[in-house]
Amino acid sequence: MSRAGPTRRALVTMAALVLVAVLAVGAVVANSGRPAATAEAAPAIVVQRAHASAAPTLKRRIVLLTIGSDSGAPKFGRGGSAEGGRADSLQLIVLDTVRRRGLIMSFPRDSYVPIPGAGTNKINAAMAFGGPRLLIATFERLTGIPIDYYVLTSFDGLTDIVNRVGGVRVGVDMNIRDSFAGAFLNKGSQTLRGPQALAYARARKTVPGGDLARSRHQGQVLLGGLATYQRQVAKDPARVMAWLAIMRDEVKTDLPFPELLRLALFATRVPPAKIRNQVVPSVPGSAGSASVVRLLPGAYSLFARVRAGRLS
Amino acid sequence: MVVSPSNNPVRSMAVLLALLTAALLVAGCTSGRDRPAAPTATTAAPPAELQVKLVTTARGPERGFNAKRAAKRAAPGVERFLDRYLTTAFVGAAGGKRGWDELLALFDTPVRAAARKQLDALSLGAAAPQVTAVRPKRASARAVVLYGRRPAAATVRLVFDATADTANGSEEIRLRSVLQLLATRRGWRIAAFDSRTGAPS
Repeated sequence: MSRAGPTRRALVTMAALVLVAVLAVGAVVANSGRPAATAEAAPAIVVQRAHASAAPTLKRRIVLLTIGSDSGAPKFGRGGSAEGGRADSLQLIVLDTVRRRGLIMSFPRDSYVPIPGAGTNKINAAMAFGGPRLLIATFERLTGIPIDYYVLTSFDGLTDIVNRVGGVRVGVDMNIRDSFAGAFLNKGSQTLRGPQALAYARARKTVPGGDLARSRHQGQVLLGGLATYQRQVAKDPARVMAWLAIMRDEVKTDLPFPELLRLALFATRVPPAKIRNQVVPSVPGSAGSASVVRLLPGAYSLFARVRAGRLS
Repeated sequence: MVVSPSNNPVRSMAVLLALLTAALLVAGCTSGRDRPAAPTATTAAPPAELQVKLVTTARGPERGFNAKRAAKRAAPGVERFLDRYLTTAFVGAAGGKRGWDELLALFDTPVRAAARKQLDALSLGAAAPQVTAVRPKRASARAVVLYGRRPAAATVRLVFDATADTANGSEEIRLRSVLQLLATRRGWRIAAFDSRTGAPS
């Protein structure tokens, strides 16, 4: 036993040394594939975590004339071509693409205005006299605002557009019971199907404010369409293609397709709240035996402000 | 006195020591095996072939439109465009010597300036000079093509995963993009984009 003690101590010491040596060797082996902890061992590369998005840059101001024709709608018993009918709904949409804001100026269809080469008449007659070109000329002369493009649809077209996009959410601003237009709606934000949207945009006979209220409602339907479009595209960017396909079926326009696409992409970035919906200041009146709407001086002030670039 | 080996403390200690040594050596070697050797510019694998897996659907007029046939016709052009995009933005951009003109030419003019300012989210970007090779791992896309008489526009959701090699190692990169495409006389162009790049989180 007395001889076993030193041997054991020696073995324990040796074991400890070997252990230390082995651990050291093991550590070196284990670390051999790892870069030394110096500045050179910084992450291999720095691929930036980045997010980018962009819509097309358009010219600073775009002016569109949207026209709802009372013809070219077989479903409503309105024959003929949309371009050959009278314009029941007339909006001048002015977009400031830099500030991403806009103005919808709704014109009562009975606005009594000079029509180039056709005397003074209701503005909606201009299209029946000379198609969209004469209507544009009438607007340009009236407002002094150059129009870039027109977009024309019919009763059928509006109904189909709204149905095919799944309805548009509109803030209906009054209770309406109008059997002439088929509008039976309660006040409040709601999703309108095609026939309801058309009825809301047409109702005037039993509606307080008549033609002026109707013009305001038409602007609301447009804004509801924009909000619906933006909501759908935010969920599924490919909805842009669906909307464009529908527009190509249902509207006539002189917008070249690349511009239409760019505008559609730009439209995803304009908050509807930054688009003001205004009926051109006007009052009901008469011209001979005809009921007309006469523009007030405020209308011409509005045109001047818009020409000067002020949309708010 | 007969003593079994297991009962001999000295021998037991020696056996234990040997086992411990072996175990530690094995452990040391094993831990090294788990870690890939740091690649260098000279040892980097050659770039894998880029092939975009594309699923295409088509939209067109409500009446008289054969969506299946239109999608089939549109797919090769979209696939070629995406291949070209990923090549100029990533696979062929390694080294950073080619610049970005070829990539920027794939953008529609009204969005090109915005693309130039945001290259890091659309391509290797500022990291390109450090990258020696990009090895694609996954390139897939879903396209919805608007079709008239011919393709007019498309929305593409693009997914691209790759490994980027440098002299100091490698890093996984990923791209997740939504590209809005416009068909022009020169082929597809990006008219709008929403794109993210970076290492996987």
